[in-house]
Amino acid sequence: MKSSSLNLAPYALILPSFALAFFIITYPFVDILLTSSHEVSRFGILLRFNGIQNFAKVFADPLFTASLVRTMWWTLFVVSGTILISFPVGLILNQEFRGRGAARAIIMLPWAVSLTMSAVVWRWAFNAEYGLVNATLQKLGIISHPIAWLASGELAFPIEIFVGILVSIPFTTTVFLGGLSSLPGDIYEAAQLEGASVFQQFFHLTLPLMRPFINIAIVLNFIYVFNSFPIIWVLTEGGPADSTQILVTYLYKLAFRLGRIGEAAAVSLIMLLILFVFTFVYLRIQGREAKV
Amino acid sequence: MIWLVLSPLLLVILFPFGVMFLTAVKPRSEVFSYPPRWLPTSFRWENFVEMWNAANFGSALWNSLVISIGATILVLIVSVPAAYAIARFTFALKQPFSQFLLATQMLSPILLVLGLFHLVVFCRLIDSKYALILIYAAFNIAFAVWMLRSYFGSIPVELEEAALIDGCSRLAAIIRIFVPLALPAMVVTAIFTFINSWNEFVVALTLLRSQENFTLPLRVFSLVGGRYTVEWEQVMAATLLATLPVAILFTWLQRYLMSGLTMGAIK
Repeated sequence: MKSSSLNLAPYALILPSFALAFFIITYPFVDILLTSSHEVSRFGILLRFNGIQNFAKVFADPLFTASLVRTMWWTLFVVSGTILISFPVGLILNQEFRGRGAARAIIMLPWAVSLTMSAVVWRWAFNAEYGLVNATLQKLGIISHPIAWLASGELAFPIEIFVGILVSIPFTTTVFLGGLSSLPGDIYEAAQLEGASVFQQFFHLTLPLMRPFINIAIVLNFIYVFNSFPIIWVLTEGGPADSTQILVTYLYKLAFRLGRIGEAAAVSLIMLLILFVFTFVYLRIQGREAKV
Repeated sequence: MIWLVLSPLLLVILFPFGVMFLTAVKPRSEVFSYPPRWLPTSFRWENFVEMWNAANFGSALWNSLVISIGATILVLIVSVPAAYAIARFTFALKQPFSQFLLATQMLSPILLVLGLFHLVVFCRLIDSKYALILIYAAFNIAFAVWMLRSYFGSIPVELEEAALIDGCSRLAAIIRIFVPLALPAMVVTAIFTFINSWNEFVVALTLLRSQENFTLPLRVFSLVGGRYTVEWEQVMAATLLATLPVAILFTWLQRYLMSGLTMGAIK
């Protein structure tokens, strides 16, 4: 660390990663910026600058508005469902009990399976005629006739939300377990000596102390779920009749099925904006509350 | 009591694995019998052999291995030096570089898929494994650097300095002292990148054209999507074979992954 050449060392060390990330991620980003503001041929050739016309077309498309609203429900239900299940699961797995290792391993299992594979298996499980979901529910006497689960949006969409929650639990539980293991044990002993009930301990100690981890889990899950493509694409491809379309599937359909490239680029940018605004605003609000 | 509370969740998690296994070993006539039943009357292991040939499973497995291993090696080659630089040096562009990585984390492949497609067309790499290796590596750099850096920071710098004083060259100090200590972190990062690449779907769906280049998720999807008759016993055999190795690897490694993630979260 004495010679002057060493001052360049950190730059030489970060250069390869920077070059790769910059090239692979910045080029497409700039391409989307350009594409969204141009008239584009079906083959992706930019024809002429047309300002915000692509955005205007997107906002005028009722399917965009429907997908946007559905994306909000999708994200809201999957993220809140995931948090509401993962938090108690984290609390339970943080206790000592017989077979905890096995329980942990099973709960983490969906993480190792690709979303595509999970969705394929669920698609078969929810098959109207031969699926084992119908078989099980009929055997238990919960339903009397087989149900065509994926044939209408009203049933298919909640099923997709259910699968979405299931695959998000492992990661979220991991974040909570990490947080719980970092909580200091002595304050609980002190609280017990003072005669605090289990509920008081939970609401006055655990919940406030876990706040940062809950925030991390909400922000990261929001980003993942908002961008999640395979579950809906594999289960219904956004159908039937676009009744389960969310923004990512709508974007894919615009770009690679309908050849409306300019509009697809506009949707990409709108989604990026939503992500940035959400993350920024959420972290801001939480930061302010934490200070008070 | 605890198991009673957890059991509904555990059952729902294990349900698809049961579906996968029991469908994969059923004779075809029982897969498509109405009303459906859980248990097969006999185990038909030939389903796996038939699926392997019909779905060209071997080549999909090979493609997935080549692409995932390629991406993992590339990520390590570029991320280990970068994480080392961030953990050990102070330099003017350290903050901006970290923020750049954070921003790349937000730009997920699906949002950029159109631009990625244009980039790959521009480079004439459509339907090529190299394109997927480069893209998977690029999108895993941010996480890899973040994870490696928090481990590297916990390795005392004094150890390297002691080696320098003892007459080691800087490079030799890194290779003999630092690398062995940092190895667990590199293994965890490698596994994580590998699993991410192994499971990726949308980029593969967009960039791969010919069947012989399909990765496993794409191969399995193509057996199901847009078909009128799906041979579900073969599809389930394929998902089972594609899932099991990674699931076992993951279960074995989850405790290391967990401690790695929490270390990163606290810092």
